Amino acid sequence: MAAVLQLSQVTKAYGALRALDGIDISLPDNAYISLLGPSGSGKTILLRVIAGFEAPDGGSILFKGERVEAVPPHRRNIGFVFQNFALFPHLSVAGNIAFGLENRELNPITDSAVVRAKVKDIVALVGLTGLEDRGVAQISGGQRQRVALARTLITEPSLVLLDEPLGALDANLRTRMRAELRAIRERCGVTFLHVTGSETEALAMGDTVLVLDRGRIAQADDADTVYNRPRSAAVARFLNCYNLFEGQLSKDDFVSPVGRFPLQGQKADVRGQPAYAIRYDRISVRPLAAPVTAEEVRIEGTFIADEYSGAAINSFFSLDDGRVIEVESHLSQAAPQTCVPHGRYALVWKRQNALVYA
Amino acid sequence: MQASGTKLALGIYTTLFLVFLYGPMVVLAILSFQTGPEGGPQFPIIEWSTYWYKHLFGMTPPTRIAPLPIEEALVRSLVLAVMTMIVSTVLGVTSAQAFRKKFAGSGFAFYLIVLGMMVPGVLVGLGMALIANALGIDRHWWGTTFVLHVVYTYPFAFLVMLAILNRFDQNVEEASWSLGVSPMKTFRKVTFPLIFPGVLSAMLFAFTLSYDEFSRTLFASGRDLTLPLAIYGTFSVEVHPNVFAFGVLTTLFSFALLGTYAALMMLSIRRARRVAIQEEA
Repeated sequence: MAAVLQLSQVTKAYGALRALDGIDISLPDNAYISLLGPSGSGKTILLRVIAGFEAPDGGSILFKGERVEAVPPHRRNIGFVFQNFALFPHLSVAGNIAFGLENRELNPITDSAVVRAKVKDIVALVGLTGLEDRGVAQISGGQRQRVALARTLITEPSLVLLDEPLGALDANLRTRMRAELRAIRERCGVTFLHVTGSETEALAMGDTVLVLDRGRIAQADDADTVYNRPRSAAVARFLNCYNLFEGQLSKDDFVSPVGRFPLQGQKADVRGQPAYAIRYDRISVRPLAAPVTAEEVRIEGTFIADEYSGAAINSFFSLDDGRVIEVESHLSQAAPQTCVPHGRYALVWKRQNALVYA
Repeated sequence: MQASGTKLALGIYTTLFLVFLYGPMVVLAILSFQTGPEGGPQFPIIEWSTYWYKHLFGMTPPTRIAPLPIEEALVRSLVLAVMTMIVSTVLGVTSAQAFRKKFAGSGFAFYLIVLGMMVPGVLVGLGMALIANALGIDRHWWGTTFVLHVVYTYPFAFLVMLAILNRFDQNVEEASWSLGVSPMKTFRKVTFPLIFPGVLSAMLFAFTLSYDEFSRTLFASGRDLTLPLAIYGTFSVEVHPNVFAFGVLTTLFSFALLGTYAALMMLSIRRARRVAIQEEA
């Protein structure tokens, strides 16, 4: 697969803050890439550097094989969809969509019949038929999102950057637009780089998921790998589905503040601060007296509360040092242990399911 | 009880405020309808008439009261105000645009621009007169005075535009760039239409400030007088109600200007819908 965009060692600092600290990315052609990063990880700045709105301090950006650091945004042919959509408020839906075609520097289309035909096609593609003549203040949030997308896609960019494109939509619409975005991208055959702070969105949307941590790419893998084998404790934390214990590795044990966790031949994984991670849904809750097998790790905790979410129930236990452990039980598998408030329970998981970072 | 007492006090205060604000204007308007030529600029009104309005336009039989020497002054003031408005607004818009990015010395440049409206007019006028004399430049309303009017009104236009651009969503411009549209064209097609209401306000400021500027003009304008100077000149002889009639007419003119401004404002707000309709047709 040919790379449409390659970043190497891109840096950008604001005073003492290293917003981008040596970014290396290679984006394949015709793919959906999602970029997951918590707020403050530099994800919006990264997009703005790629689009050319901000100049990087160092490193190189190759777009379709050519260096573009010095190329102004309007000569890059990289589309950008803003979180707030940034539609032109003085133009109609059709006027917004046609704007790029009619006014761009490189071969603008002056034949209004051609413009109209192209607008008609793209309007049908994103599902806005019938709204062409509305003002952009007279349509709903989801429709505005589509206008923003159509306006960009009609200029046929090779890469579209989407900055939290679903952030301004309500939850219902967000889920629907996810599938829609993927379908639209497939029909156009361009690469989407979708930035989001939501781990579920990143995992659901991306053919490849990039995880950004403090100005660096912490992981770049397919969704399944990112979810099951996060490369560092930081990535595991962003995924919001791992309980993490800090501590030290000592021979066959991981020594944490709440006790020793015996390991089972796990190789310690990658750099970063030492940590031991166990996914919420890998833990089972048992009465204190229940037996434990040799492959299992057991700690004790006090039940605090639980949260019912339909297919699963999430229970919270406080350990002796005050930290809170979350356990997710899928209701389709077995009726979970019912817990009494302030009761003590054994929390048990298989050794091999834990991830160890040291 | 306490609340209604406060309310009453505030009501009286507001009423007094309005009376003092509009009282002089109302008095002038009433006195302009004094009979002529024997009626003077004082109460009581001897008889209601439009004599002084006719007198203004030379439609009365000649009397010892000379017609107001304002025809040429009026034209001069209008031309000057329009020139000032155009130059100050262009300067205001472009420099406010420049201030959107921090540049070296931007703080200093800001105070330098704003200084033009802070410095007492008499001083600036006098200074200009002295410099003009020293350099051997003739003082004219279209020269020295024009420069001072721009120096005075430009900061107002600049501050208005600065406030407008402050609220401007930069993403909209960036969106245009990312569609391949050059920054110049983006300014013309996106930025300018969106800041147009602000541009109108800046124009209105520059025009009205220049139109009745007195102190700077007094020293800098040489032989040919502008309107405020011409009117002031008539006071030194004797005041007749024809000045009041003229005042009423210029006030009406200002209202017409404001009306035009409001209408243009409405149009620019409704443009989105109008564009939609045009494209349908």
